[in-house]
Amino acid sequence: MNVLPTTGAVSAEIYYDIQRFLADEAALLDRHDYAAWFALLTPDISYRVAVHQVRSRGSREQVHEIIDEDSDNLRLRVDQLANPKLTVSENPASLYRRFVTNIRADTTEIADTFAVKTNVLVYKNRTGNDQVDLYAGEREDVLRRVDGSLRIASRLVRLDQSVLLGGTLSTLL
Amino acid sequence: MTPKIPKGLVDADAGLVSREAFTSDEIYAAEVSRIFDRTWIYLGHESEIPNAGDYVTRQLGSAPVIVARTPAGAVQAVLNSCRHRGPKLCRDEAGRATNFVCPYHGWSYANDGRLITTTFDHHFPQDTDFSQFNLVKVPRLEIKFGLIFGSWNTDVVPLEDYLNDMGWYLEAFFARTPLGMEVLSPPHRWQVAANWKIGALNFIGDSQHIGTTHIGPLTLDAVRSAREGFTQAGQDSFQVVTKQGHGCTLTYLAPGMPEKNYNTHDAGPSTLFRDHLSDDQMNMLHHLRVCVGNVFPNLSFIETQVAPGEKAVILRLWQPTGARSMEVLSWVFAEREADEAYKESVLRKGFHNFGAAGVFEQDDMELWISATDASNNPIAAQYPYSFHTSLPYQDTQDNTYGWPGRAYRPSDTEVAQFEFMREWDRRLQGGEEADILAAAQ
Repeated sequence: MNVLPTTGAVSAEIYYDIQRFLADEAALLDRHDYAAWFALLTPDISYRVAVHQVRSRGSREQVHEIIDEDSDNLRLRVDQLANPKLTVSENPASLYRRFVTNIRADTTEIADTFAVKTNVLVYKNRTGNDQVDLYAGEREDVLRRVDGSLRIASRLVRLDQSVLLGGTLSTLL
Repeated sequence: MTPKIPKGLVDADAGLVSREAFTSDEIYAAEVSRIFDRTWIYLGHESEIPNAGDYVTRQLGSAPVIVARTPAGAVQAVLNSCRHRGPKLCRDEAGRATNFVCPYHGWSYANDGRLITTTFDHHFPQDTDFSQFNLVKVPRLEIKFGLIFGSWNTDVVPLEDYLNDMGWYLEAFFARTPLGMEVLSPPHRWQVAANWKIGALNFIGDSQHIGTTHIGPLTLDAVRSAREGFTQAGQDSFQVVTKQGHGCTLTYLAPGMPEKNYNTHDAGPSTLFRDHLSDDQMNMLHHLRVCVGNVFPNLSFIETQVAPGEKAVILRLWQPTGARSMEVLSWVFAEREADEAYKESVLRKGFHNFGAAGVFEQDDMELWISATDASNNPIAAQYPYSFHTSLPYQDTQDNTYGWPGRAYRPSDTEVAQFEFMREWDRRLQGGEEADILAAAQ
């Protein structure tokens, strides 16, 4: 998993911008506004969601992706979720609430590019299936300021699961 | 003691299947003892444990097992439970170990299951034969095309006989190059509150759900075949059913589609196929858009284009955890000879469509959960499921190509699904592989 070398914590002002950006981003997904969410990504987006393989402590960390997508593949996923006629799993829509915390934001050697680690907790309620699912994980984002606005250039979500307990994942984290 | 199973769960003449086959705890208990602990069950692929000491932990019927490559290079499976007081010897999903030490009281075993020491050997009666405490070996284990199968039934028919005509197709998907196929990542795993047979039926021949359940990925062309191509291909497709309840559906591209879409294009791993497969197998692969099938009881596969010139082979295990729940495992394969960039692309796109967040899977799972939920009540149980579109086609085989198995056209009927249910019913009523083979010959 490639990590951008960091050069120290961001300023309070930038930290505020990042915190606000992440909260706004989560709100878009919570209300199923996928098109607006997709607009927050840079064209060279790398979007990955990984799960852990159960291994003894001390052995090499074993995570493997369940989603590893570029802009084109992510676009297909987003277009499907965005159109009620093209999704069964999200129509009726599941109720989602995202909590993004423990924000650690650092500058990098690249101008206007920030390495941001967060914890994410996503609550999902699918009433028709009597189902409540929780997705907890750690995110590593690369955020880039483009024309004055923050954009997501890279995201890796390490989910704290090895077996997805609530069926397949039908949302974005 | 196996429970009494009511006759008439599958009504062959009326094209009906009781909903209780998909919801009842009693029927599930009988499935475990008469099917999952009796017949061949898929354990994994050789490429998951390439080196001496490599292992994966899996489920064989009702019991957890360790599937390992011994120092001598053989593949062996043992019950993953200490002979002393029962904990799992190995709680990792995968790894490499020369021996397994029980974390409870310290009994330790070699990777091949042989007991090394109980730590307290000196307190045992003088004449104790310690070999009686070796790990319980899975009595039957065979590998075909790199696919490892095990069975708790010492009398199970040889794997080759079990796979019979389906082996011809599996060979074309898993042994079509000199080095064969390779698993590209650990399996995706997810739990779903649905009966395992829904998965098997979905893959053996459920062409009727594609246009509704998967309208999303079809509309958006998630598998990158021109929409026109898919529609035309749908006119050239058929189902294949074999003995033992295996089956698949083959869908071909119409002539005139770009050559790069085919399995026989002039670049990449497919250039190696011709020297390794029969002419008939090459003809089967030529112009093949997608093949989806199921090896009885719960191993499904897809061979599909994921991008122009790129083909993924996916294996799927519907591992029951109860009458109304299962764990699903999904692996993506590519030819070992393929270059890394090709493998990475196949893995990424294969899982985009068919992984734990697959754009096809998410809608399937929603409906399987819904079907299980809405059927699991005494009112719904009075109204059996319909397989009527199998009835007019059962005696109209169409073996145009003369390939193994019984072929049926068109592909969008429920012939293969109903054959699966009839085979399931025969076994539930006490039929064995040998009886079924004999009856079919």
